[in-house]
Amino acid sequence: MMKKLIGTLLVLAACFPAKAGDGEYAASKISPALLKNAHVVKRMEEIRYEVSSYNKTRLYKKYAITVLDEAGNDFANLFEHYDKLRTIKSIEGRLYDGNGKELKSLKNKDVEDRSNISGISLMEDSRIKIHGFYYKVYPYTVEYETVIEFNNTYMFYPWFPQPAEQYAVEKSSMSVVCPSWFTFQYKMFNYNGEPIVSEAKEEKTYKWQSANLPAILKEYAVPEWQEITTCVFFKPDKFEFEGYKGSMSSWNELGQFQVQLNQGRDKLPDNIKQKVHQLTDAITDANEKVRILYEYMQQNTRYISIQLGIGGLQPFEASYVAKNAYGDCKALSNYMYSLLKEAGIRSCYTQIKAGQGEYFFMPEFSTDQFDHIILCVPMAKDTIWLECTDQTLPAGYLSGFTNDRYALLIDESGGHLVHTPKYSLKENLQSRNIYAILDEEGALQIKSTTQYGGLQQDNIHGLINNLSKEKVKEVLHEQLDFATYDINSFNYKEERGILPTIKETLDIAVSNYATITGKRLFIVPNVMTRNYRKLPPDAERKYDLQLGFEYIDIDTVEIELPKGYKTESMPKDVVVESKFGKYAASVKLKDDKLFYFRRIEHYSGRYPAKDYAELVTFYDAIYKADRNKLVLVKNEEAKKGF
Amino acid sequence: MSDYTVKVLIIFCKIEEPKLINLPQLIIMKRSKLLILLCSIFFVTNSSAQKEPKFKFGSITAADFSTTTYEIDSSASAVVLADIGSTVFEGNNKSSFSLVFKNYRRAHILNKNGYDIANVEIPLYTNGDMEEELQNLKAVTYNLENGKVVETKLEVKTAVFKDKINKNLVIKKFTFPNIKAGSIIEFEYKVHSDYIFNLQPWDFQGQFPRLWSEYRVAMPAFYTYVTLAQGYQSFYIKDQKNTRTAFHLAETRGTGASDKASFDANVTDYRWVMKDVPPLKTESYTSTIRNHIARIEFQLQSIGEPFTYQNVMNSWPVVAKDLLEDEDFGAQLKKDNSWLKDEVAIALKGATSPMEKVKNIYAWVRDNFTCTNHSRRYLEQSLKNVLKSRKGNEAEINLLLIALLRRADIQADPVMLSTRSNGFIHAVYPLLGRFNYVICLTMIDGKQVYLDASESDMGFGKLNYECFNGNARVINKDATPITLYSESIKEIKNTTVFIINNEEGKSIGSMTKVSGYYESVGMRNKIKEKGKDEFLKDFKKGFNTNFDITTSRVDSVANIEEPIGVYVEFDVKSGDEDIIYMNPMLMDGIKENPFKSAQRFYPVEMPYAIDETYNMQMEIPKGYVLDELPKQSVVKFNEEGDAVFEYRISSYESNIMFRSRLLVKRTIFLPEEYENLREFFNLVVKKHNEQIVFKKKSNP
Repeated sequence: MMKKLIGTLLVLAACFPAKAGDGEYAASKISPALLKNAHVVKRMEEIRYEVSSYNKTRLYKKYAITVLDEAGNDFANLFEHYDKLRTIKSIEGRLYDGNGKELKSLKNKDVEDRSNISGISLMEDSRIKIHGFYYKVYPYTVEYETVIEFNNTYMFYPWFPQPAEQYAVEKSSMSVVCPSWFTFQYKMFNYNGEPIVSEAKEEKTYKWQSANLPAILKEYAVPEWQEITTCVFFKPDKFEFEGYKGSMSSWNELGQFQVQLNQGRDKLPDNIKQKVHQLTDAITDANEKVRILYEYMQQNTRYISIQLGIGGLQPFEASYVAKNAYGDCKALSNYMYSLLKEAGIRSCYTQIKAGQGEYFFMPEFSTDQFDHIILCVPMAKDTIWLECTDQTLPAGYLSGFTNDRYALLIDESGGHLVHTPKYSLKENLQSRNIYAILDEEGALQIKSTTQYGGLQQDNIHGLINNLSKEKVKEVLHEQLDFATYDINSFNYKEERGILPTIKETLDIAVSNYATITGKRLFIVPNVMTRNYRKLPPDAERKYDLQLGFEYIDIDTVEIELPKGYKTESMPKDVVVESKFGKYAASVKLKDDKLFYFRRIEHYSGRYPAKDYAELVTFYDAIYKADRNKLVLVKNEEAKKGF
Repeated sequence: MSDYTVKVLIIFCKIEEPKLINLPQLIIMKRSKLLILLCSIFFVTNSSAQKEPKFKFGSITAADFSTTTYEIDSSASAVVLADIGSTVFEGNNKSSFSLVFKNYRRAHILNKNGYDIANVEIPLYTNGDMEEELQNLKAVTYNLENGKVVETKLEVKTAVFKDKINKNLVIKKFTFPNIKAGSIIEFEYKVHSDYIFNLQPWDFQGQFPRLWSEYRVAMPAFYTYVTLAQGYQSFYIKDQKNTRTAFHLAETRGTGASDKASFDANVTDYRWVMKDVPPLKTESYTSTIRNHIARIEFQLQSIGEPFTYQNVMNSWPVVAKDLLEDEDFGAQLKKDNSWLKDEVAIALKGATSPMEKVKNIYAWVRDNFTCTNHSRRYLEQSLKNVLKSRKGNEAEINLLLIALLRRADIQADPVMLSTRSNGFIHAVYPLLGRFNYVICLTMIDGKQVYLDASESDMGFGKLNYECFNGNARVINKDATPITLYSESIKEIKNTTVFIINNEEGKSIGSMTKVSGYYESVGMRNKIKEKGKDEFLKDFKKGFNTNFDITTSRVDSVANIEEPIGVYVEFDVKSGDEDIIYMNPMLMDGIKENPFKSAQRFYPVEMPYAIDETYNMQMEIPKGYVLDELPKQSVVKFNEEGDAVFEYRISSYESNIMFRSRLLVKRTIFLPEEYENLREFFNLVVKKHNEQIVFKKKSNP
């Protein structure tokens, strides 16, 4: 035992060079190329992930960063998380001035310990240790060394030498040291070459290193961070986690691990079983059974998150959910799975990464890249997706939270990588009709009817389902783009289904919608659908454009104008076509009535950096066209002539 | 300065034992209007309660589920049917007294948006020696299933979690099991506390409507508490009964034996009930909803017979004296502090005049220390440690500033205040619990200057607008009362635009914009993050496509004493239009009414007074004649001119002179003034949208 410990210490000493002497971190030694756009420069970093056994690994981290200015302070403090799965073994830290002279070192009593439960959870075992030197004379350098021990080989953190934008790196390295029997894979992004591999007697070491990474300035709509900076992901072929054994060799095997965790957790109490039969036995259509049971689940459970130890991966048993009527995404999905199973319908527990715009995924690298669970019900014709964490979504609709991305479906045989459906241009349709009357004072009485489809209805779905009618009214009062207005009445009607739509009718009174100065009347015919996007020109755009969600908006507007005006200036018809979409708007005047038509198609996708200028022009043209004014002048005045 | 000085909406009744006189008093407020408003709201509407509902734990019947909407608020997603609390004093075995707080609550969840009410958190305080203790927790969910009431009990042993937030606070939390739309929930618990200073306050009002909210306190005669009540709701019942109660004290000795003592004392049972209390909405331009919520709270004033009389709550001068002797506040300030010798020398940078000295010391503290908490009234570490660790809460940083100033022979005193978001303080009573902020007051050449070195973005003599919350106290011998009013700070913004025709006959122009001080702080932060270039790029983006910016510059970025100035030069793009329409405000007009809601329930509180001036002079574009100018107008919010908007425009030969000025002198507006205020801004937006019209000259 003693011997082994000494061995470890020696390795440690070899890995971490002697304490930085004065001057090593002097800011003057930073190359000017690294100072550009940087608030912070990482001077050195050595990370060592050491595997002792399948249930004991250690992460040794040492790094020094030079903070160049006030905005860099955000990176100067140390934050280390811990919980039942990882323990902080030691923390050391030192502060250096701009010349690299050591000023002071960390004292354990200055390390703050705090609860770190996320806002969505009732309970977690997550805690955090925080330390900072709070120095404010720039530049200065902080150096930290931490040792963290894991009780599993499941958590194998990727290496990101450059964790953020405006953050340059002088040098950083990552080593994996493991016994010769331990095998793992890696996946590299923006890394030239291969790791250096060295083998000792019963041990091998892989080492990646990176140097002189200039600071990155993020641009509008850039691809995911992983694609623009150096990083390496890891996965063990085999692992252990809280007494369970698993493998990441393939998606199938990773899925088998979840199968183990879920084993025997689908038993329902008798009363619930009876309920399932009572609800579905008389129904013949399987799709209908799914819908009924899903709605039953939605009405009788709620989302409560409790994450303790392996509970971060393993669902609460179905009987627990039945009794308490709550659970997190895992528990509720597993409960729904159990309900369907009782009704004789097969479904699959499905791992996914949730959130708007989560594009990054490594389909050829079978690791846990997920943070959410949904349920997939394969049916004879189509697949029904169920978001079990939401109490109001219609059965089969994924929403922007989980649509169009990879997911790992789990069945008895293991895991299967699939892709969730994408809601496309025509499905994300917003179609609006406005009939309005303008009075002599410029006040506009608006009656609008809007049909929102697909992803375009997500926000409104949330609004009307999560807020009381009173609150919805308050929100409408805050959010519409009129200077001063009142909502006379409003109504929403949902068409629930695999592709839901919401019909909104609003009756709004807007004061001073039109500007009347003397003899003239100025009015913007685009009443409610104006585009706000305006981008700064950037001749040096570096990264590709990644545009999120595609949609169509169609507007028709009819406004009754006060009598006795005639046109002085009429906006020209606008037609813009680009690779990002199409836009058309036109205004007509007939018998004191104004008719406006607008249609926009906005595409999603990936575009090369050089297309940015065209996007700026496209948005500018729309921005301008959406605010075009029609100018009318009083007839009698006009007669006088000029 | 404005005479409008209403700051504290608190009414209190002082309970003086043994006379047992309730003395409702109104403090503060110079305006009779508000006085009337408040007078009418806080008294008992019905003291002879005829029919009181009874709430017994578990007595839920099927009939209780029949109500699906409640009259008080038809759109409520949950309703608290009863919230009943009580506090009694008990003798303990530490030869002292403990507080026993009981809470019973029953609520009806009407739809899923009310599920939040099923998540319960009970904070418990601890200081290492004593910990408040949660006892007898019981929580049950009731659902109506097939006409029968079905109970699901909370498993207290396994489903109550303990979250150690920090060394002084533990939160016990749980959620009710088996919650559905329609569930009725009930809980009760006791908290046993040895902190007699911590007599539980009571909120009569919350996120959901409360049909019955009741609090009782059995106040023994030997403790005297000051009772403070606030809000706009009236009591349904407010009464008190005198009883006599036996108290038993014990003290356990090391050997396990104990000394016991018993005595009888007069006890007054107070009872406060509010009925049908609507939820309080959060509205924009509100410092904190805590100023408005219906609430009652208590402060220990004195201890009397059978104990030795002890005045716990003293007059302000005594409190200030104690603070100045307190190790956690001023004790260090009185000392010679020779350990600061070197730092004073460094900070002074050789300054000799008092003004220079103060400026240098202030800047040194501001630029070298990091504030990690902006809401503290005490030291949490010694000043020596603050100096060493280079960080501290705002009280620590400002007390260190004072120590340094005094060491440099400058008069400096701490000022204690409550920030706007922390709520109003009491004008008269020294209720320290309500204070959360400490700044420094110094006297230079007979002039008072307030300093806050914890705000690294602020210049000399500038305070965060959060500090302007009315009454505050200088912690000196006299505990001098002072006032910091938001009306006294003015956010002054000036924009000047010139447009002329150049030699080629094209319109060119320049704009100089000096932002308000607080706006500048925000702009500076943006520049720190992204740099000047990105900032200017964003600024240019704000211009519409009819202007080509040729030059741009931003001034006073590094000089935080001054507001930020932005200067641009531009070409006006012109085609061959027959008519040119031009808004003289360019892109600077106010486009949105800040007051969106149609109604207002409590006063509008703005952070500062506003003075925005926009001046433009332009030459009529070459080849065009003026066809129409917007009308001039002056809008006054009221006769006193508490808010004034001027829109002046005229032409002379080929020039147009334009000026818009928005002046809002007052920062607080009452609900009955709201409609006017909204209309005032409506007119501002309307005028700011108006256009000048030029027509092409007909062929000469």
